[in-house]
Amino acid sequence: MTDKSPVSVADTQTLTSLGKAFRSTLSRDLLIAFKRRNDILNPVMFFLIVVSLFPLGVSPDPQQLSVIAAGVIWVSALLASMLSLDNLFRADYEDGSLEQLLLSPQPLYFMVLAKNISHWLVSGLPVVLLSPVLAYMLYLPSEAYGTLFISLLIGTPVLSLFGSIGVALTVGLGSRGLILAVIVLPLTTPVLIVGAKAVADVSFGLPVGTHFAILGAMLALALTIAPLASAAALKISVN
Amino acid sequence: MWLWFSKLGSPRWFYELSGKWLPWLYAAMVVFMAVGLTWALLFVPADYQQGETIRIMYVHVPVASISLACFPLMAVAGTITLVWRMKLADMVAKCVAPIGAWFSGLALLSGAIWGEPIWGVWWTWDARLTSMLIQFFLFIGVIALRSAIESQDAAAKACAILAIVGAINVPIIKYSVEWWNTLHQPASRISMDPMAPNPPEIWVPLLIMIAGVYLFFIITLLLRTRNEILVRERRSKWVQDLVRKG
Repeated sequence: MTDKSPVSVADTQTLTSLGKAFRSTLSRDLLIAFKRRNDILNPVMFFLIVVSLFPLGVSPDPQQLSVIAAGVIWVSALLASMLSLDNLFRADYEDGSLEQLLLSPQPLYFMVLAKNISHWLVSGLPVVLLSPVLAYMLYLPSEAYGTLFISLLIGTPVLSLFGSIGVALTVGLGSRGLILAVIVLPLTTPVLIVGAKAVADVSFGLPVGTHFAILGAMLALALTIAPLASAAALKISVN
Repeated sequence: MWLWFSKLGSPRWFYELSGKWLPWLYAAMVVFMAVGLTWALLFVPADYQQGETIRIMYVHVPVASISLACFPLMAVAGTITLVWRMKLADMVAKCVAPIGAWFSGLALLSGAIWGEPIWGVWWTWDARLTSMLIQFFLFIGVIALRSAIESQDAAAKACAILAIVGAINVPIIKYSVEWWNTLHQPASRISMDPMAPNPPEIWVPLLIMIAGVYLFFIITLLLRTRNEILVRERRSKWVQDLVRKG
């Protein structure tokens, strides 16, 4: 260990600071989110309101509602995650801190991942936690509560990760609104299918291990690919 | 080999070369389409179950199979754009998106016309129909992204990323939807045996039609790309010379 070439010194410096940079990006984003409580409340409120529109629009009949409950909750969670995505890079893009993030020596993959995690903790997790209450209100069979909760817990991070690609691609555009949904929603259909089917199947007393395994595989794939794609997209959008 | 590859990056070279190909492609398409359509519409025996409606297959299957090739093509062109910065690849990627959307739409339409007499419904939430519909949405997304970004260079790279992500997702969508609900008949195995369920007299005209529609697809893609070349290179001397010549 006598060799003290500048390269190895630089390497260890980047390595030690990677974890630190990851943590500080994560805590910074969480801090900003907690300073603006509406950002946390809005997705949950949106989720609550959309779900409560269905009994009004379809019928208050418990039998009909219990049939559609799983799908309604999953679609509403998908829409809530879609609408909250705009916060992901927007403010950072406008105040220039995104540019600093791109210029930093840390691998962008981890920085984007940190932002994704904080975004999910703020907007995805509350929706997951609230889902059993809404499941009760929509007369979902009680044996399906656990499955709904776990499927949302594995599935909503995938929605956030796929969504972040769409946000990264559109962050520089003046009018984004609907284009984000047009790009991202088709990409998220597999998650919706598997997640909603898991809940529907457990209501019929079928085993759901496979569904969780597939959702887990999707999460693993999304964790691998989505931050890379988002990082590449951010570089294009910021230029 | 590398000379060929670097030449491919030159829009002018491609424009001139594709101009030489086009008459041959037109001729081949007319021959294949004429033979395929006449054979399929007049001489293929009516199916013992589906009757005359089986002839819709000779449009539906080629259109659907080509629409499936469009997304991978767009992703490959996108990768070339990102890696080698080849202008021509992006022009192809731009031009294939609307064609892919059209072919997906036509596959859905011809499928609906076929489905009505056979299944009794125009639309059903079957796996292949649904995944074709989602693929149609993906094409619309790429087109929307392209039109939303003003800078041509940024649009090229952004659409390339979306195309690659979409192409990774297309098989996942396909399998998840298939697992979700299947009504569509699986593809029939081809056989040389004249007594088999799918004898040569059925599938040979289908192959000819697939070749014909593929040629049609290539011609439309070439025409669109040539147009795109002229638009993007409008300030270059060779395009202005071309315009002056008339």
